[in-house]
Amino acid sequence: MTTATQNSRSFAGGVHPPEGKHLTEDRAIEPGPAVKELSILLSQHIGAPAQATVKKGDAVTAGQQIGECKAFVCAPVHTPVAGKVKDVSLLPHVVLGRTMGVVLEAEAPIQPVVPSFQRPQAFDPDKYTSEQICNAVRDAGIVGMGGAGFPTSVKIQPDAKVPKDTLIINGCECEPYITCDYRILMEWTEQVITGVQLIARACGAKDVYIAIEDNKPKAIERMNASLQSLGLVSAIRVVPVKTKYPQGGERQLIRAVTQKVVPTGGIPPMIGVVVSNVATAAAVADAVVCQRPLTHRVVTVTGLGIARPGNYYVQIGTPVQALIDHCGGMTADAVKVVLGGPMMGIAIADLSTPITKTGGALMVLTKQQIGTERFEQRQSPCIRCGRCLQVCPENLNPTKIAHAVKKHLMDVAESYYIGACIECGCCSYLCPANIDLSGLIKTGKILLARQRKKMPS
Amino acid sequence: MPQEIIVSFAPHIRQPLSTRRVMLDVLIGLIPLVAAAGIYFRARGLILIGVCVVWCMATEWVCNLIRKKPGSLWDLSAVVTGVILALSLPPALPFWAAAIGSVIAVGVAKMAFGGLGANVFNPAMVGRAFLTASFGVLMTTWTVPATIDANLPQVGAQNIVDARTQATPLGWSKIAIKDGAGADIYNERQFVSTITGNIPGSLGETSVIAALLGGAYLLIRRTIDLHIPVAVLLAAFAFAGIAYLVNPDAYVQPFYHLTSGALLFGAFFIATDPVTAPLTRRGMWLFGLGVGAITLLIRVVGKYPEGFMFAVLVMNGLTPLIDRLFRRVPVGGKPRVG
Repeated sequence: MTTATQNSRSFAGGVHPPEGKHLTEDRAIEPGPAVKELSILLSQHIGAPAQATVKKGDAVTAGQQIGECKAFVCAPVHTPVAGKVKDVSLLPHVVLGRTMGVVLEAEAPIQPVVPSFQRPQAFDPDKYTSEQICNAVRDAGIVGMGGAGFPTSVKIQPDAKVPKDTLIINGCECEPYITCDYRILMEWTEQVITGVQLIARACGAKDVYIAIEDNKPKAIERMNASLQSLGLVSAIRVVPVKTKYPQGGERQLIRAVTQKVVPTGGIPPMIGVVVSNVATAAAVADAVVCQRPLTHRVVTVTGLGIARPGNYYVQIGTPVQALIDHCGGMTADAVKVVLGGPMMGIAIADLSTPITKTGGALMVLTKQQIGTERFEQRQSPCIRCGRCLQVCPENLNPTKIAHAVKKHLMDVAESYYIGACIECGCCSYLCPANIDLSGLIKTGKILLARQRKKMPS
Repeated sequence: MPQEIIVSFAPHIRQPLSTRRVMLDVLIGLIPLVAAAGIYFRARGLILIGVCVVWCMATEWVCNLIRKKPGSLWDLSAVVTGVILALSLPPALPFWAAAIGSVIAVGVAKMAFGGLGANVFNPAMVGRAFLTASFGVLMTTWTVPATIDANLPQVGAQNIVDARTQATPLGWSKIAIKDGAGADIYNERQFVSTITGNIPGSLGETSVIAALLGGAYLLIRRTIDLHIPVAVLLAAFAFAGIAYLVNPDAYVQPFYHLTSGALLFGAFFIATDPVTAPLTRRGMWLFGLGVGAITLLIRVVGKYPEGFMFAVLVMNGLTPLIDRLFRRVPVGGKPRVG
């Protein structure tokens, strides 16, 4: 047996930000707020938005589907509680700005109950066909809960051309501060394992790994013990990976675990690999075994700007403000509210923005946490120190790309492979001149996408 | 509740490392060299450093006023330029000449190009090149270290002009070779002197120990990478070694080349200036190899006894091309067009 810290696999580049997980890692998942009015967005995933199936004034039951799929890459949306549809309108969305959503007035505000999953006796995933699992996952509206939000049913469908022979369950949680996946690993261990078995069954994967960063030895131990007691040690392997950001980036994780490289601009299934988050695996178990749609998720509320940090089981559609209030409100020195972690999360201005399926964390940061220079956006000229090149996990040249974007030289940006950027933010994190490298690169990608749209094909 | 919340791009946290801290680290790394200058050239050496620093900072301040830009004085880059320029000057250089060099270094080589980060050539080396071209005699008048008994010159006795000044080891060995005295006069004793710094030369270049100490600090702090210094020294050693193997009588031993002149000081503190060196690892290697080779080309074949300054300036000019030559390829390979 090797201990967790030995032989931890990794990738080249990356940074080691302060972890900050001590704020919430020992806090068990507890119920989130009882909310009077929920904003359930119809676009919580990559792909076509779901179409509303209810209209203003309709009464809905808990778990009812209120958004349906017309397209292939899409995911339906369900209600967490019973109530009345107050409106179907444009609502604030963390990435898209504004998007269609259903405003739901709860019958009576009820606090969510953290469910306890009972793994069926002598559970056998082969009792389900791949199609059955995919359909159940699709009907439950499950999307990648690690952040990207790709519809899981599409991801786990078997592919005859390139067999999906490797499944990696992502339990790295490399973002500082976030602990929701860690708590799921610790508390819902058997549910995760059940979900992993079902996903492996659906996509036909032979090699199944659960990758956990080696700063979570308890989770590694718990998972190993649980696999042992279920007699699954040979079927599912727990892989400790080095604690380094962005270890949980899908491309970095695949490299660390399998030494395979996903081609630039490609996706993991192209090399026969499926990567799925632990929360997603838990949701799959819920959907297939208990026929429960995805209406709740665990959210880590953390940061020095929040009174009571913790891990909360929250109704999807809960406005950020309600969650903040539930956690004792913001402290006086709070300056920034971020959906997601401190490295990749998105700062929001509108606190009525709802929690979505993909949002695992809500951070409230203080000025001290952000640092004066970053807070005041004080940038100085690039001294070409090359630190951004050293930490780039994709081996890019961030400073060249960012400065090309700044000067609107999009062809130059492309010649330095702007499209290969995974937007992890390592370059900005480390830049001594405090240049918004990843921010500029993101801007450049949007500009390029717009240019392409205008061009006749 | 807070008064207001702000939004900005991710990441929302940052490693507490600033440009000023990087510059401060370079200055800390320069301390052993400044100390060596103080030991061997006494107050005169330290005052010369002070003059260069003051004039560099004043020039930066004035240029910022003219450009109507916020003051960039406290990023400490002008201080670094001043110290490096001073350390590359002969100890006896008149203060007015040092001031002119400083103004050229910061005013022309740096601020005229757009300030920190925008300069193509190493400012200190441009300042020094200007002085070399303008005041050739002053720039080649080398004081004997104060630690050497002026009545008993220990090096290069036959070329001594007076008790106070004489040629640098590289300089007189070149003359000696030309006069047919052979290269072996560069004896063991002088080799030891180059290690400690007990030889005539520029303020900061004489002591190998000081250069290595400072360089080690920069490497430990990760202010510089190993690539450029190693490439410079490797190329220089290889070039000198080949020359020595071809004709041991006409060329100085390769180890002596490494320990004398500005090679070590420059390899750690001048060639590694990030602004004027390539960004990629392979680029750094090519850059370093170029600096080492050109330095030795000038030393061995050229007329000047020392060529580090010209080597750095030439390679500075090639840096944009080198960066273009060695583009990084993404981990996943070049994207397929389509």
